[in-house]
Amino acid sequence: MTFSMKSSQKCGLIILLGLLAFAVLGSWLSPYTISQQDLNAILEPPNAQHWLGTDHFGRSMFTRMAYAVGLSFALGLVCVMTSALLGTFLGVWAAWSGKQVDGVLGVFVNILLALPGLVIVLLLAAIAPGSFLMLYLAISLVQWVEYFRVVRAVTQAVVQSPARQSSQMMGFGRWYQFKRHIWPAIAPSVFTLAAFGGANAILTMASLGFIYVGIQPPLAELGLMTVELFPYYSEAPWLLVQPLVVIALIVFGFHLLAGKRI
Amino acid sequence: MTILLKLTNVAVYAGDSCLLEPISLSLVQGRPLTILGQTGSGKSLLAQAVMGLLPEELALQGEIEVLGESMTCDERRALWGTKLVMLPQEPWNALDPLMKGVDQVQEVYRYVHGKHQREAMALAQADLQYVGLAHSGAKRPSQLSGGMAQRLAIAAATAGGASLILADEPTKGLDASRRLDIVRLLQTRSAMGGLLTITHDVAIARQLGGDILVIKAGRLVEQGDAQTVLSHPEGEYTQALLGAEPRVWKEASFSVPLPESPEVVLNVEKLSIERGGKSLFNDLSFQVKQGEVVGIVGESGCGKSSLGDALLGLLPVASGRISRLIPAAQPYQWLKLYQDPPSAVTSSVTLGKLLEDLVGLHGIDRGRIAPMMDKLSLPEVILERSCHGVSGGELQRFAILRALLLNPVFLFADEPTSRLDPITAKEVTTLLFSLARETKCAVLLVSHDADLVRKTCDQVIAL
Repeated sequence: MTFSMKSSQKCGLIILLGLLAFAVLGSWLSPYTISQQDLNAILEPPNAQHWLGTDHFGRSMFTRMAYAVGLSFALGLVCVMTSALLGTFLGVWAAWSGKQVDGVLGVFVNILLALPGLVIVLLLAAIAPGSFLMLYLAISLVQWVEYFRVVRAVTQAVVQSPARQSSQMMGFGRWYQFKRHIWPAIAPSVFTLAAFGGANAILTMASLGFIYVGIQPPLAELGLMTVELFPYYSEAPWLLVQPLVVIALIVFGFHLLAGKRI
Repeated sequence: MTILLKLTNVAVYAGDSCLLEPISLSLVQGRPLTILGQTGSGKSLLAQAVMGLLPEELALQGEIEVLGESMTCDERRALWGTKLVMLPQEPWNALDPLMKGVDQVQEVYRYVHGKHQREAMALAQADLQYVGLAHSGAKRPSQLSGGMAQRLAIAAATAGGASLILADEPTKGLDASRRLDIVRLLQTRSAMGGLLTITHDVAIARQLGGDILVIKAGRLVEQGDAQTVLSHPEGEYTQALLGAEPRVWKEASFSVPLPESPEVVLNVEKLSIERGGKSLFNDLSFQVKQGEVVGIVGESGCGKSSLGDALLGLLPVASGRISRLIPAAQPYQWLKLYQDPPSAVTSSVTLGKLLEDLVGLHGIDRGRIAPMMDKLSLPEVILERSCHGVSGGELQRFAILRALLLNPVFLFADEPTSRLDPITAKEVTTLLFSLARETKCAVLLVSHDADLVRKTCDQVIAL
């Protein structure tokens, strides 16, 4: 299968790769750690020692931003992988394995859909505040439903198609039928959903950080940094701007990458 | 007699290459004009040129006069609906799927003629009655059969009062029995104005009468009065086109005789099938022998395709018994050929890869492929393309190739040629049957074409 990307999608990919490079290189090259305080140099503007300035405890913003971006990407990636795999698998299973499986999965999905996604995440996150694992599980649980519904709808049509029926009659197994018939039909939608899903996962984590339910201090997280730096917005606006701009860039990058297909 | 439409040296170019060579014609009131030709011969380009619908990358030359005035593309577009109208090819794609039939006609009266709602509704009802849909006005297009949808589309398209009707393949994808209705309807409409029909179906051209133009690969090959041209064709191509009609095929045109003392492949006893709680047929019993071609005929919707699917185990049976009597045959040797080749072959990989998959799965001897492709006159190059890059005829022959490589004992051919043009259809049918004979494969043929079944089948089952 070949991927032909539009220029806007390439642009989105470049933004995301740039941020990723910043996260990796930043954490690796910086001489400071994320919790290393220097109370003699607080709220400094960008300078030669601290390229992005320091926060209200004199911690290096460059190091903290790199760590936070890395954390966001890590969470986005694992959430997308998990929910895409789970949603796709269950969607194909529901469409392919008859009415009973479809019915049971349908009921479960409808229950999940009846509750607002952010509320479910909030509930689970509040059980164990600051746990990355819990955040990951909660966000994945909310996100796989989208994949499930799209994949199920597309697969139903493919399962009924003469092309798949003909392959089955010629003796090809289920994996082959998935590979040749179902996957080519669902792949574009799954990739688009994954791009939006990545943005959503990161945004959800930032929202939870912003209300102190997500990742806990002293760790660096984009939402948490926003709320921590909020009191200093008039003295050091350059600090508050950093996490906000990065969140906007990440979401923008993912949405560009998704393209206009859905 | 007024001349409604006159084309003078109209040609269509894509860059430097000529898709449609200069052609001149005139359409007079009350005398239908038919353009006959194979798919891909540039017939539809002509209709698009007249309507002003040519894609931008194509260039139009020559002069088009509508109702005695030479007009530019934009001027012709302004006539849409009221003077000039084109019937859609596959109406179930052109109608609004969510709107009741009568509303789709009623809208034309309201918005084109500016009539009041009640009056428009009455006129629409009258129109539907005229096309025989009086009781189906409240149905949505998906609840109508193909023929009914086409009649609805004709009613909606002609409600604007256009005197000049262009019909591009008006019967494509319709059952043979429904085709006549559409042609009759078009005929009555054409008596009031001009009708330009574009088709590959000789039967339609014959029925419409009037004048005829035969086009091959963008070039006019023959022109004249329909009766004369169709009964005494002069051009070689016209003769081939006429000779491809099942009506005039020589009986038993297969060189290979039935195998001697053939074994029985399939035995069906008292079979009944139901679909959606409705019984399709009851107590059907028959036998199919090796190498035999069995035809199934019947009205559309009588369960012909369902019978074939049931024999292959794709549909449940209500009662009765189907016994497969060749114990050595594997399940994958019971196969089906589909009506619409592009929908029966995946477009995700090249045809060559699909063939490779099959060879790998069943350990087929690669040496058999080349001679078989020769026989089916399939060029090597198509293996490098996906199913979108080859014609319907080639794709159907590719489907036959895949089926035959598995040494089938039974092949269910569900209208295998109904979407192909006549010359290709004849080639494919003859090839399929003679190859099946050679390999002792039984074929169950479902067709609407009674002539085809009568000329080719050893046994006919009427449902």
